[in-house]
Amino acid sequence: MNNAIQMPPKPRINPALVTGLLPFIVVLAAWAMAPLISDIPAYKLPSPAKVWGTFQDMLLNGSLLSEVWASLQRLATGYILGNLIAIPVGLAIALNRAVAETLTPVLSFFQSIAGIAWVPLAIIWFGVGGGSVLFVIVNTIFFSSIYSTVIGVQSIPLVLYRAAQSHGASRWDVITTVVVPGALVQILVGLRTSMAYGWRALVAAEMIAGTNGIGYMTLEAVQWYQTEIVVLGMILIGVLWLTLDRLLFVPIERVTVRRWGLVS
Amino acid sequence: MTNATNDLSKMRRRPMISTAQWRGVLGVASVLFAWQVSVWVIDLPAYFYPAPRDVFAAFIDLTQKGILPEYVADSAVRYSVSVATGLGLGLAFGLLIGLSRFWSRLLGPIINFFYAIVEVAWIPLLVIWIGYGFNTIVIAIAYVVFFPVLYNTLTGVQTVQHVLINAMQTLGATRWQVLVTVIIPSALPNIITGFRVGAGFAFRGLIFAEMIAAGSGIGFLIFDGATTRQTDRVVVGMIMMGVMWLLIDRLLLRPVEQATIVRWGLVRNQGGN
Repeated sequence: MNNAIQMPPKPRINPALVTGLLPFIVVLAAWAMAPLISDIPAYKLPSPAKVWGTFQDMLLNGSLLSEVWASLQRLATGYILGNLIAIPVGLAIALNRAVAETLTPVLSFFQSIAGIAWVPLAIIWFGVGGGSVLFVIVNTIFFSSIYSTVIGVQSIPLVLYRAAQSHGASRWDVITTVVVPGALVQILVGLRTSMAYGWRALVAAEMIAGTNGIGYMTLEAVQWYQTEIVVLGMILIGVLWLTLDRLLFVPIERVTVRRWGLVS
Repeated sequence: MTNATNDLSKMRRRPMISTAQWRGVLGVASVLFAWQVSVWVIDLPAYFYPAPRDVFAAFIDLTQKGILPEYVADSAVRYSVSVATGLGLGLAFGLLIGLSRFWSRLLGPIINFFYAIVEVAWIPLLVIWIGYGFNTIVIAIAYVVFFPVLYNTLTGVQTVQHVLINAMQTLGATRWQVLVTVIIPSALPNIITGFRVGAGFAFRGLIFAEMIAAGSGIGFLIFDGATTRQTDRVVVGMIMMGVMWLLIDRLLLRPVEQATIVRWGLVRNQGGN
C-alpha cells in the first residue's frame, strides 16, 4: 500500500474563490437550461428546482434524516468494530515474523476481495437488511486495516529493533517504543483508506442488500424513475463524504504530521 | 542506508525469501484445510456453506461450459478500457491544473466536489441515462481512476525541483521540451502511485458495477449465483476476483512501478525509513 492515497490538495483560498465557483454556476445553469433547449425527458433529468423541492419535502417529513442516520450509524459501528479488532490483531500478527509471513498472502487475498464481493454471500447468510450491510462494512474495514497494520510493522527498519535491543530494551519496551510508533503512520494511513473503502462498501451494500439508508434510497428510486431522488442521493453522498473527511481525517493528519515530523 | 548495511541485509534476506514463500503457501493451505474441516464439523446445507470440493466442481463446470472464460474476458476488457480512459484523462487534467494557476483555480473546487461523489453513487443515474451494459460500466470505472491519477499527477508536478526547469530554460528549452523532459519524468513516480491506487479502487468498482448493470462478468457471476442459490458459483466468482487482482498486481502494476523506479533512478520512501 502506498502512502500517497488520494489526499485532495490543500485548498488555495480567497482570490480563487470566485473563479472556483464559476464551474458550479455553469453546471447548474446548464442543468436548469437543458430541458428548455433539448428534448431530454423530465424523468431523465429532473430540474434543480424539483430536486430542491424533493429535498425540502423529505427533510420536513423526516425521511431524509432517518436514511442518513441509518447509514451513518452503520458506518460508525462497522468502522469502530472493524478497526478495534483489526489493529490489535494486526500488531500481534506482525510481532512474530513467521506468523506474519504465513498470514500475509491470505490477508492480501482477503483484502483484495473484501467489501462488495461479499454482499451476495452476506444476503445468503444474513438475509436482506441491516445485518448483511454491517457484515460487509466490518469485513471491508477489518481486512483493509489489518493489512496496512501488518505492512506498517514490516516496514520498520531492522536497525531500529537492534538498536533498542542492544540498549537493553525488554520485549514490551520494543513494542511501545519501536513497533507502535513505527507503524503508526501506516496505521493512520490505513484508517483513512479503510474509511474510503468502507464508505463505498456502505453505499454499495445498501444498494444491493439494504432496506434503508442513502444507498438504498438512491437505487430504489431508479425502479420508480424518481430521478430527483437519485440526484438528491448522489449530492448527499458527496456532501456527507466531504464532511466526514474534513471532520475526521484532516485534523488527524495535521496532528501526526506535526507530532512525528512526517510528511507523506 | 550505506552500502555495507545494504549488502548485509541482502545476504541475510536471500534465504529468507523462500522461507517466506513456503510460509505463505502453508497459510493458504491451512485456510483451505480449516474451511474443509469446518464444513465437516458444522453440517450446513451446501447452498448456505459450500465445501471446497463443491466450489472446485463448480469451477470445472463453469470452465467446461465456457462461461467462466467468457466472463473473465468480459471483465478484463471492461477493466482495461476504463482504466486506460481514466488514466489518460486524469493525467491530462492533472498536468493542466498543475501547470496553470488559472485552471487550478477554475477547476479545483468542482473537481474536489465531484471526487466526493463516489462512482457507486453514479451508477443508478447512469443506469437511467444510458441503461445497462458496457458504456455505463466504463464511465463509472474510468471515473474512479480519474481522481487518484489527477491528484497524484498534481502533487508530482508541484514538487518538481525548480532548479531543473530553470536550467532547461536557461539552455533555451521550449515549454513543450520542459514538459516532456523535466516535468513528466519527475512527476512519473507520483503518477504511477496514482495509477496504482486508482487501479485498486477501480477493480472493486468494476465488480459492483457488474452486479448492478451487467449481464456478464465476474461481478455478475457472484451476484447471479446468489439470486439462484448457487452459492458454489458465488465463491468461484470471489476467488476468481482475488486471482484476477493478483494477476493485475503482479503482471501490470508492479512491473510498471519497478520499471519507473529503475528507469528514473528513484526509490520512494516506504513507511518508516
